[in-house]
Amino acid sequence: MLTILKFTFKEHFSKKVLLFSLILAAIFLGLYGLGVHFAAKDLARNPNPMIADVLFPQLLSLGLYFGGFIVSFLAIFSTVGAVSSEIENGIIQTIIAKPVRRSEIITGKFLGNGLFLALYAFLFFLTVYFTIRLQTGLELNGLWKAAALFALQPVTLLAVTLFGSTIISTIANGVVVFTIYMVGVIGGMVEQIAWLINNVTLQKAGIIASLIMPADALYRKIVNSLLHTTGNPVTALQQMGPFGSMVEPSIWMVIYSIFYVLLFVGLAVYSFNKRDI
Amino acid sequence: MDFAIETINLTKKYGSKAGCTDVCLRVPRGQIFGFLGPNGAGKSTLVKMLVGLLYPTSGQAKLLGYPLNNIKIKKKLGFLPENFRYHDWLTCHQLLEFHSKLYGINGPERNKRISAVLETVGLAGKEHQKIRTFSKGMQQRAGLACALLPDPELIFLDEPTSALDPLGRLEVRRILLQLKARGTTVFLNSHLLSEVEMVCDTVAFIKDGRIIRQDSLEHIQSSEIKMELTIGKINDTVKQALSNIALSSYIEGDIVTAFVNSEDDIPRLAEAVINNGAQLYEMTRKRSSLEETFIELTGGVDN
Ligand SMILES: Nc1ncnc2c1ncn2[C@@H]1O[C@H](COP(=O)(O)OP(=O)(O)OP(=O)(O)O)[C@@H](O)[C@H]1O
Ligand SMILES: [Mg+2]
Repeated sequence: MLTILKFTFKEHFSKKVLLFSLILAAIFLGLYGLGVHFAAKDLARNPNPMIADVLFPQLLSLGLYFGGFIVSFLAIFSTVGAVSSEIENGIIQTIIAKPVRRSEIITGKFLGNGLFLALYAFLFFLTVYFTIRLQTGLELNGLWKAAALFALQPVTLLAVTLFGSTIISTIANGVVVFTIYMVGVIGGMVEQIAWLINNVTLQKAGIIASLIMPADALYRKIVNSLLHTTGNPVTALQQMGPFGSMVEPSIWMVIYSIFYVLLFVGLAVYSFNKRDI
Repeated sequence: MDFAIETINLTKKYGSKAGCTDVCLRVPRGQIFGFLGPNGAGKSTLVKMLVGLLYPTSGQAKLLGYPLNNIKIKKKLGFLPENFRYHDWLTCHQLLEFHSKLYGINGPERNKRISAVLETVGLAGKEHQKIRTFSKGMQQRAGLACALLPDPELIFLDEPTSALDPLGRLEVRRILLQLKARGTTVFLNSHLLSEVEMVCDTVAFIKDGRIIRQDSLEHIQSSEIKMELTIGKINDTVKQALSNIALSSYIEGDIVTAFVNSEDDIPRLAEAVINNGAQLYEMTRKRSSLEETFIELTGGVDN
């Protein structure tokens, strides 16, 4: 299993997907850093604590939201054919005939990809975090907890994608997983609106969406916990808008996400075990 | 008796379509076993079941005495798939390294094995080239190298020479005979009957998923013996005498071709010529080719 884990991890470095996503991430982070820099400079010239209190947190959530997008895209598109493409081109045939269990092939692929994606997300998070922290001086709570949750985001997607690639073709899997991801994203926004207008039905719809795909709920938990300073009168304002988090998802959402990952990896092992190649 | 492969009523259905039906095979250890049949007969299906890619619908099979998919046994198996594809962004050496790790070959043993198989398949000196830049035949050699890595006790080769040039085919035959000399059992799927004829000990014919004949090559070849006689001063008595002994015969000028049933008929042919006043210049035994049996059994021309 370790062999497959290491191989899968290294595989990312020999593929173009990584190079492109690194370049794009660099462009994104560069632009973002520039934006934050000028916003901070402008506010430093005309200090307005009220605006700073709202704008900086909004900038933070913006960065983490679209950062999450980029990380999620990488998670989906770099692993969409993790198993199916190897079945389609026949590479898997020589692997299965080797003295390795099929479950080891799947867990090796999961851990190799998971480690890579978590590391990528982790570094991405740190960049956004310190861009905000150093340029605006915004007080933030719980760096490591938030970073861990941010790294968990692509792993939830990876688990579903991996399962999908053991049962359907690469292209079909891409379509399905992307749709599932979008359900989570839209669900998160719907839930934001629901809390704003206090509509219970919509809130439930949002919760169901985050059960189908918890990545977005994790994001909401991250921004909420980072900015959570008790007794801050503008908290509500900070968390307004599509990228905010009016209500912090409970710890159960995190526990659910971990089970979600385990469930889908289990399903992937199960379906791959039964499958004729 | 100790068999390398033993299957009992092994069956694979693709939905309602049959891949293999009630296949019963026994392959003794140390043999080169040729598995023949027309396209779509179920050859690859059987091999895929044996190496663990497909799950049998019913029936049983044992490899080297153990049920299928035994991890310990898989350490001793080599497999070259029909549609071989490898991680082509690796160099040949990296690929072999990865595969030896999968086989659990570690330490200094690994590099020793890698150099040995590279030498065997004729890729020595090209090991730092990327697989992607290899020609199809070179890729097949790399695939063969992967299959040879564990110094296997049993090796499955699904059309191992499909992409090779004549020299490469010759080399593969040499490799097969070397393997046999070391006691390895070789299971060979092939369309190339002449190739099978040159190396195999036993052959089995499969058609529409069913085994229609399994026999030693000698047996198959000796079921009908083809003799060619060069005769001087041939006359009608000779012709008559020859056709009494032979199953069938035909004459072209001085040369008579006669098919006989058993070895005992060979000296009788000679007597028939000499005793009836003709002269026998040459008499050679032509082996009846596997091809004839193949066409007769499968009722169609393959490829
Ligand atoms: N994945 C599959 N799904 C459905 N039918 C299949 C599948 N694979 C093979 N078959 C069918 O099973 C039969 C046997 O196929 P197989 O590949 O074993 O033939 P083969 O003897 O290896 O042929 P060839 O000489 O062309 O390699 C064929 O009729 C084929 O159509
Ligand atoms: Mg075949």
